[in-house]
This record gives sequence, C-alpha cells and structure tokens, in this order.
Amino acid sequence: MVSAMETAVNPSVRSAVRKYFKNIYQLFYSILEGMAVTFSYLFRRPITIQYPYKLDKPMDEIIPDRFRGILGVDLRYCIACRLCQTTCPIACIAIDLERNPETKERFITRFDIDISKCMFCGLCVEVCSTGTLHHSKIFDGTSRHVENLVLEFVNTPVRPFIKPKSIEDIPVDRSGAITRNKLKDFFDLPKFRLTDEA
Amino acid sequence: MKNPAKVNEAIRHLKPQAAPFEEEMSLNFGPQHPSTHGVLNFLVVTDGEVMHQALPNIGYLHRGIEKLAEMTPYSGFMPYTDRVDYLAAMFANQVFAMAVESLAEIEVPKRAEYLRVIVCELNRIASHFIATGALALDLGAVTPFVQWLREREFINDIMEALCGARLTYNYMRIGGVSVDMPGDLPDKILRFLDHFEPIIDEYNRLISNNEIFVKRLADVAVISPIDAVNFGLVGPNLRASGIGIDLRKTLGYSVYPDFDFEVPLGKGFRGALGDAYDRYMVRILEMTQSCRIIRQALEKIPGGEYRANVKKKLKVEENEVYSRVESARGEMGVYLISDGTDRPYRLKIKTGSFTAMSIVEKASQGLMVADLIALIGSLDVVAPEVDR
Repeated sequence: MVSAMETAVNPSVRSAVRKYFKNIYQLFYSILEGMAVTFSYLFRRPITIQYPYKLDKPMDEIIPDRFRGILGVDLRYCIACRLCQTTCPIACIAIDLERNPETKERFITRFDIDISKCMFCGLCVEVCSTGTLHHSKIFDGTSRHVENLVLEFVNTPVRPFIKPKSIEDIPVDRSGAITRNKLKDFFDLPKFRLTDEA
Repeated sequence: MKNPAKVNEAIRHLKPQAAPFEEEMSLNFGPQHPSTHGVLNFLVVTDGEVMHQALPNIGYLHRGIEKLAEMTPYSGFMPYTDRVDYLAAMFANQVFAMAVESLAEIEVPKRAEYLRVIVCELNRIASHFIATGALALDLGAVTPFVQWLREREFINDIMEALCGARLTYNYMRIGGVSVDMPGDLPDKILRFLDHFEPIIDEYNRLISNNEIFVKRLADVAVISPIDAVNFGLVGPNLRASGIGIDLRKTLGYSVYPDFDFEVPLGKGFRGALGDAYDRYMVRILEMTQSCRIIRQALEKIPGGEYRANVKKKLKVEENEVYSRVESARGEMGVYLISDGTDRPYRLKIKTGSFTAMSIVEKASQGLMVADLIALIGSLDVVAPEVDR
C-alpha cells in the first residue's frame, strides 16, 4: 500500500515539496548566520569614542595636523598682500588697509573672516606666503546669532609685517589660541548688531 | 485623491498620455521621505499596493553649480565640485581638473596621477558603503548600514589625515594634487585594506546571503540590457545588466591601464539578469577590485613632483573639451567651454544619478510600492547629483 502511494506521487510535486523545505532551511540558516556575525561583536572591542566625555587623548592629538578647521590669523605676521581675499571663491574674507595721511604708513584696520560663509576649502591658506593665515583644529563654534560668526581679528590697527630676509621659519602661533579667543566672545557676550557696519 | 479626473489633472504636466484608471490613486512619495536619499519627489500612481507608474519629479536640490562656475576662476571652482556628489567628491574633483588640464595643455606629474587613483578608489569604496548599506537600511536591516558606517569612518580618517577634510575634500588641483601623502599614510591605507577585505565576507554572511534580503531584491525591477543602454544608464547600474562598459578599462584615463583588475558584471546572481540584487552585488564585488587597485598603486607609486607648475591666475584660450571619469555612480562628465578669460564660459556636468532617474518610470511599472524603495536604493541615486 505504502509503495503504491509513493509511486503515485508526481515527480514534479516531489521536487516542489523539496524546494519548499529547502527554502525554509535556507531562510533559517542564513538568518542564524547573520545572527552569528552580530553575536560575535559582543566579544570585540567597541571603537566608539564617547565624545566629549571620555577621550583617551586630548582632542588636539586625535585630530590630524592637516585638519581644516576654523581659520585663524596671526596678525603679527600678515604682510597685507590680500591674496587670500582675492582667492576666496565666496569672498568671506574682508581686509581693509588705511594710510596715515601724515606719516604715509599703512595700517591693517580690518581683517574679518565670516565663518558662517566659509566652506573650509583651504585655498586661502595655500596662497598665504608667510603662513599667518592658518587652519586651527577647532571645529566646534556655535552662536545664537549669525552676525556673531564674523571673526574680527583686528582690535587696534596694525602695521603690515615686512619679512626680513634672514628669517626662514616665521613663528606663527598655530595652536588655535587666537581663534579660540575670538570664538570666546560668542559664548560670553553675544553681540547684537542690527545693521551691517560694512 | 479619489477623483480620477483630479488625478489625471495632477499628472498631466508629467505625463499627458497617462491612461485613466477607475481605482487609481496618486500619492506623493517624498521629497522629505528618508528612503529617497535626499530630496527627491515621486508621484506614485497606484491601484492598491501595485504601482502603475512612479514619476520622478526632480529639482528640489538645484543649486546652480553650473552657473556658479561661470563666475568663479578655474582654480576657485574646485571646492564647488565637492558639492556635486557629496559621497564621492574625489571624482568630481578629478573630472573638473582633467577638463581644465586638457584645455590648458598641462601635463600632470606621474605621482599626482597615482595619488589621484588611490584616493579615488578609496572614495569609491566609501561611496559603495553608503550605497549598499543604505539599500539594506531602506529594506529594514539597520545593522549592515551601521557596520558600513563604521568601516567608512576609517576611510574618512585616512582622507582627513591626507587633505584635512572628511567629505568635501577639495584635494585635487589643476595640474596635480594639493599636498603629498604624509609618510605614514601608505601604512595606514594598507592596514585598512588588510582589515577591510575579510569584512566583505563577513558582510556577505550578515546580509548579502540573507534569504529575506535576497527575496526582497531578486527578480525585482529587472532592467534588460537593451533598456539599460537605451535609457543611458551608466556605471554599476549598466554593468549589472551585463554590459561591460567601465571607463577605467574602455577609456583608460589617468594611469588605470597600469593596473590589473576586473570589471564585475551582473549575471543574475540570485534571479534574472539586471535585477536589483545584481545591482547590489556588482557594487560589493567592485569594492574588492578597488582594494586590488589601491594595493598595486601603493606598490608602484613613483617619487617626484605631485603638482605641476600652473599659473595662479590661469587663463585658457578659446576652446572646448569633454572629459569624463568613471565615478562611483558611473560616468561623470564635464563639458567645458573657455573663452580666453580666467573663468569658464560654460560648464556642464553630466552625472550618473541623473540618467538613473530616467529609468524609474519604466522600471517601476507593475512593482509593489515597497519595491520602489528597492529600486531607488539599488540605483544608488544621490539627490545633489541629480539636480546639481
């Protein structure tokens, strides 16, 4: 009786049944395989950094030296060539020079960088011959007002730097302290400027 | 919108010959839907769960980059090219640099070409991470996406150490690259490759061979080879349909002829030729080939200059050129007309995502609504590249 039933089953039906169960087997096998991969991550070291609460090293050491952060200017060494201003594709750098009518001396009266416009492309830093315009490693700067994002580097008018031939390396302060000082103004005293002074 | 007259009214400007269906309903899919990979809008005309058609409606991310080029000096336009395709910025950098170089007849040093190849292939891997990971994410698998993001972080770190930025690199310059590799970078890249190549197998075990995932993609949105050519598909989408056009091989630009690598083609891995799973699998296989190219490039890289001497204020004589590269999303081309000044007269960027959008209307006919996600994800559309 049993053998008669077996012979009666159509071979195509049998293969369909086999395929059905094979599908189910494959489904569960592949899911378990994926789960095994996921499970193995329980025993591996996580690579997550709990920024800013738990850092192995200070942030300045984690960030590579070439990082293009918020721009900084060490005004002591600016020769006022204005190359950065002309190179910037979005014109976020504004430099004003004024000449004292009596002594004929030139002064940098304005060196503003609008970091709300800046796209950190680094073209201005590339053309700076003295290296005074530099990227700091600072990437975090927030303000409640977009007007405050204009960094004004000139407090009192400065004379442009004249590069002596003897000096090879100009000791530009690239530690980011200059930019950090300017950014401090955002947090401490938000400035309200209703009209554009420029 | 249940009124069929209103439906036809709504889609008339998109497709006048749309046949009226009694039970038809039109839905807006996007532009803020997370599965559209940016701001893309689809007008989905459905009858229940089955789509009659999905009509892409682009233009939400238009930024006028081509017009900006006409106002920017040649060297100043490089940062803008980063923004054409934010997942694979190196290719847009390279294609623009190549266009200007061939116009101004600047010879690029060999070392710069090798550096370009290395960063481009790294960028291709990073871009495919997002393509394949986001496809899995859209279909409901979150783990693979997060895992690929972790791997991508290593590439971002490498790029950061190389050029200072993680996504908008602005690394290439007209006549070469901006900076040479730091001394420890080749080791870093090799360490990443050693770590990464076994991860591909692990990833395949995690998701590519997963039966649920395969069932969602296999035999879905099949694009025949003829359609793929007729609709102008490029890159992995074209190769998934079995047509072996890869500009790295067929055009042999830059120093790609120096390397030994294969071009993976779709062959119906788990279903029909040119289905969504083929498009997914081609990208996974391409990563392995990119690793091969990077290894060879790091071995063969010559010393010397990394940047040719180019005038700061570059002026190009009146001429026109079309240059193209094989981007992560297929052929990326720049058509550039110069008029003797220091800025382009006209610049046109051709991208792979834009042509991929054209097939959505045909491939989506008769699909389920949920499979539209699989179609868009498998085409690897990046919205800023569609609109520019």
